[in-house]
Amino acid sequence: MHMKKKSKKFSKSDRKLLIVPLAMTAAMVIFLSALFFPVISDLTSIGAMFFSDKQVDYSKSYENIFVPTNNDSDTIDASKVEFPTINKQFGELKIEKRDVNTKLFFGDASVPLRNGVGIYAGSFIPGYGRTILVAGHNNTYFNGLKNVKKGDIVKINTSYGNYKYKVTDTKIYNANSKKSYDLSAKEENLIMYTCYPFDQLGITEKRFFVYAKKISGPKIVGLYD
Amino acid sequence: MKKLISLIAVILIVCVSFTAVYAAGINSSEASVLGNMRTPANMKGNSVYVPSSYINQAESYFNTIDMTSAQAGKINSIIGQARSFLAGTGKSSIKELNASERKTLMNYASAAAGVLNLSAAAGSDTKNIKIISGNGSAVVDDSTNVIKKTGAEQSALPYIGVSVLACLLTLSAAGVLISGKKSFAYEEEK
Repeated sequence: MHMKKKSKKFSKSDRKLLIVPLAMTAAMVIFLSALFFPVISDLTSIGAMFFSDKQVDYSKSYENIFVPTNNDSDTIDASKVEFPTINKQFGELKIEKRDVNTKLFFGDASVPLRNGVGIYAGSFIPGYGRTILVAGHNNTYFNGLKNVKKGDIVKINTSYGNYKYKVTDTKIYNANSKKSYDLSAKEENLIMYTCYPFDQLGITEKRFFVYAKKISGPKIVGLYD
Repeated sequence: MKKLISLIAVILIVCVSFTAVYAAGINSSEASVLGNMRTPANMKGNSVYVPSSYINQAESYFNTIDMTSAQAGKINSIIGQARSFLAGTGKSSIKELNASERKTLMNYASAAAGVLNLSAAAGSDTKNIKIISGNGSAVVDDSTNVIKKTGAEQSALPYIGVSVLACLLTLSAAGVLISGKKSFAYEEEK
């Protein structure tokens, strides 16, 4: 039997060997991403280690207006308060018993959360008498939040006063649940939150909330004419 | 005598600069705007409110400025026009607005922001509004999600990277298979 070598050119069947698996791979990636998003997000988080954006020096991308003070008085006039604008560090937040010691920003976008913890701009600052909603990453500055218990003391130091809050409750809610906060509340309340479960990589649907009420620190007065 | 006057002047200057006073609190002009923002629009019998997150952000921003009564008058007038516009659309909610109507609403927001030398832009998801100061910093952030992502950060790049890697591996495997096939393929001569 005489055997003849086959041509080295790509035949129609060879092209099918390329196109078919390529198309199947693309379809698989799309299907799995849609179906198993939380699982895929773990892989992409790992992938982010290799395909990460260019490194940026975030420490230079914010303004710090925090100057420690000894003011533990009952009140402070609004004219003596430098109200922070978005992305400014204006204080520090500590939960000493739980190894939380971090910079406090106004605003909770990338810059604040990469450098510390941030107050949602649709909430208010300590002393204002309203809701203070603080976000932080569970793998960085709010890593210790998972250990917080009722009765723990939270200290927030700002340039205009030093505040203490006592933890009253912890709860787990879905991120899109509106039961976890009340931005219209008329009394001062501190809410801190981070992603839950704490050790899950990628996007999580739930958040761990810590609720605390104010026990000391100057009330900002003279806010309204 | 001259030295004494100079010394007094220096002391006064130091005293004034030592006691920082900020444009703080909500004056009556700002209070009128906040009150107006809290007033709902009537859309086909439905009361439509500005989300409290926006009102709160406006209040926080007003604590850093001193709005004049003239500015408040202009802003309140624009808010009134926007409310009338919404009532005139014949729609029952903001979600039902078409692209042209949303653009008109954005124009009202831009006009109101412009009174304070700010600018308005569509938020990252195009459904909300962001107010920006002259130096580009956000004054009112688009408030789609009050509760943020606070786990490992996500971006589109790793998805693209992993997908490309998967496709390259598949291509490589297919290439190896084809090369192997060509090396050992023979056609039987009839």
